[in-house]
Amino acid sequence: MPLMQIQNLTMRFSGITAIEDLSFHIEESSITSLIGPNGAGKTSAFNCMTGFYRATSGDILFEGESLLGLKPYRITQKGIIRTFQNVRLFKNMTVLENVMSGAHSISRQSVFGALLRHPAERREEREIREAAEYYLGYVGILDKQNEVAKNLSYGDQRRTEWARALAAKPKLLLLDEPAAGLNREEKDRLVALIRRFRTDFGMTVFLIEHDMDLVMKVSEQVIVINFGTKIAEGTPFEVQSDPRVIEAYLGTDE
Amino acid sequence: MSLEIVLEQLVNGLVLGSFYALVALGYSMVYGIIKLLNFAHGDIYMTGAFVCLSAFGVLSGFLPGVPGIIVSILIAMLISGVLGYMTQRFAYRPLLGAPRLSLLITAIGVSLVIYNTVMVVTNSQPLSFQSGLNNTAGIRFGGIDISYIKIVLVAVSALVMTGLNLFINRTMAGRAMRAISQDQDTCRLMGIHVSRIIGLTFILGSALAAVAGGMACVYYGNVRFNMGYIIGIKAFTASVIGGIGSIPGAMLGGLLLGLLESFGTQLEFVGSAWKDVFAFGILILILILKPNGLMGKSEVERM
Amino acid sequence: MGFIKQTCHTALKPVRQAYGLLSENKRVQYIVCAALFAAMVAGPLFLGRYVIGVMWDAMFYMLLALGLNIIVGYCGLCDLGYAAKFAIGAYTTGICIQTFGLSFWLSLPVSVVMAIITAVLIGAPTLKLRSDYLAIVTLGFAEIVRITARNLEITGKATGLHSIERPSLFGLQLTKTEHWYYVFLVLVVAFIFISYRIRNSRFGRALAYIREDEDAAQAMGVNTTRYKLYAYMIGAVLGGITGSFYAVRMASISPTTFDFNQSANILLAVILGGMGKIPGVLAGAAFFAIFPELFRDIPVVGDMRMLFFGLLLVVVMILRPQGLWPERKKR
Repeated sequence: MPLMQIQNLTMRFSGITAIEDLSFHIEESSITSLIGPNGAGKTSAFNCMTGFYRATSGDILFEGESLLGLKPYRITQKGIIRTFQNVRLFKNMTVLENVMSGAHSISRQSVFGALLRHPAERREEREIREAAEYYLGYVGILDKQNEVAKNLSYGDQRRTEWARALAAKPKLLLLDEPAAGLNREEKDRLVALIRRFRTDFGMTVFLIEHDMDLVMKVSEQVIVINFGTKIAEGTPFEVQSDPRVIEAYLGTDE
Repeated sequence: MSLEIVLEQLVNGLVLGSFYALVALGYSMVYGIIKLLNFAHGDIYMTGAFVCLSAFGVLSGFLPGVPGIIVSILIAMLISGVLGYMTQRFAYRPLLGAPRLSLLITAIGVSLVIYNTVMVVTNSQPLSFQSGLNNTAGIRFGGIDISYIKIVLVAVSALVMTGLNLFINRTMAGRAMRAISQDQDTCRLMGIHVSRIIGLTFILGSALAAVAGGMACVYYGNVRFNMGYIIGIKAFTASVIGGIGSIPGAMLGGLLLGLLESFGTQLEFVGSAWKDVFAFGILILILILKPNGLMGKSEVERM
Repeated sequence: MGFIKQTCHTALKPVRQAYGLLSENKRVQYIVCAALFAAMVAGPLFLGRYVIGVMWDAMFYMLLALGLNIIVGYCGLCDLGYAAKFAIGAYTTGICIQTFGLSFWLSLPVSVVMAIITAVLIGAPTLKLRSDYLAIVTLGFAEIVRITARNLEITGKATGLHSIERPSLFGLQLTKTEHWYYVFLVLVVAFIFISYRIRNSRFGRALAYIREDEDAAQAMGVNTTRYKLYAYMIGAVLGGITGSFYAVRMASISPTTFDFNQSANILLAVILGGMGKIPGVLAGAAFFAIFPELFRDIPVVGDMRMLFFGLLLVVVMILRPQGLWPERKKR
């Protein structure tokens, strides 16, 4: 059974159809990409999958269970973590505190733990902190852990966001245009990093991306959409040579 | 409830509702365009009443009666409009990119400044307004007396609101206003002078509040520095009932709240001591049952 | 505008330097805190009754500001009716003692329960909505509370409740100003302790995530509606407890104590102090208690102080949206 199945997903906002009857699935431990020209409905699809939008019709199954109507935090608790297109860090908090937020969905101490600070709470706090430090080291910015997030360079902000997502130990990692704003060299490192996410943590990666080059390098399965509907699906090689894709995307963009 | 009482409360409700609607419009327009809950709006209404009273005090010597009142209200509209523009220009505009909470708190600051300035100027005393008109004169209809002033008040409100509707729907500036409330960045790209239109929105909203303030001054015969506080909250309630950001919604919400309140006071358990509690109770109910209001567009359903 | 900014910048330089020393050196921090605390404890031995009264006032505002700080500073919610929470605590205690003959200490848990009930009542429907709705609903609710207190028999109508019996502690009846000075000092320390514990915990961080970016907080698995409600409840409980102590300290309460100006004062203390930063909030509250005392006898200025506050608020928001307390660079 695929890890995630999108079935006949349709999304309409007051008259405009952003996604029309879109179906695809994401295999366990694969790296899958959703691509399409600007305004094709990629981000809408992404927002439906993460619960930020409510789909008009269709269904989204994760491990066989429907995610429809669940709030974003519930979806996160099921093991699906997203990043944001234009990096959404907690700007006035430290890098470490930002990454510690990743562990929120897999830890449980609440008000009484905070006030009483009993042994279980202390242990959990220590674990959260250590995990955060581990993932900061993993993405290579442990030395910046005490800086306020908004003072970081753009590249480091991106890394912080990745560390934050990894700290949640997701089954499925959703990356929203992870290459936006990176230069060529950084993009190459990103490709290697995404592959390592899978080998090191066994997670499935799904990305929506604008950058064809990166998508072709990193993904095993590519879904191409335009005007909210799927126009092609297959390996990067298959997709690249599909005339409809060339017409809709490669021909006009870049 | 006898028919007379129903009719009487209907008229009272319309009068009250006209005040609420006029003030609610300013709230709704500003919220629609910059998503600011303009806390100082009630105080602009109060300023309008004050200017009207002061202007008439000067004018009544050579321009007594109705013409004097009309000119006074026009002056009130002008000065309140300028005041509204200034608050926008100097307090809100520097903060347009800031978090919403900062903007809201700035609005509270502006409200405190206006409120306390008037309080100091008037020495915390209510001022009374002598129009020289007979407020009780009127016509008899369906077994009750309806004073001319009530009729004029409701008619003027209707006229002003129709004018506003025409302005919003038919003119370039009105269209720009609606466009900005949809997407400010695109409007900027389209060459719309966004900050000028925002300024205009404040001027219009404040002038409408001043009309209400001026009429309240004539109708109630006195002006107090704290008269804007309760009506501010009520008008906000009205705009939420109608759907905040929606202009017809603000009008409808205002009238509805006015009617509900005046009929509500007839209920034995409400009475006049509890009428404000009744109105806020309605606000909380509306927020639970229909948070987008009666005529508000539901935003893209985000969860 | 640039000129004002420059002047403020220069004027605040010594403050910044002192703060830099404070924030970088842990030992200096401890010494300063210990010295302040010792001064507070020893205060009544040297100071006159008037000064102690003013200091009590300052501590009273500190309690309210610390409570509201959980809601506004930690979680970023705008509560314009905090006076209502404190009114509910005060009236609950007043009624428990006068009508039901309970002791003050037994009235405290009743106060806490009442605070939680009202917080859920207002919070549950509104916290799901746009955040500025909460502002107006809390404002409306504060009016409801005030009007209700003014109209009900049991709350003593417009005159309020009088000669509420003072409680005893270990056989000592708390009647003197000094007694209350120490009671409130203990409360302030307890509230500070609670505030710090909350801030440095998973729960407190979740509130900060909500304040910083609600969508991102959701995406990290924070049940934003529920956490906002928790923050709101804790704020209400702290306010309620403060109200209970206020009622027995003053021995009389009336609706006018709980009007909008009171709510505005508390909010301003939190904001001027720098939303969320505890030393800042304490300083803000002290400022609000002491400032009016200084200007009370100057005729015109005394009336105009709220006007100045309003202006100050606008200027602070424009120049320093994060509040007056200097920003921490590093921890």
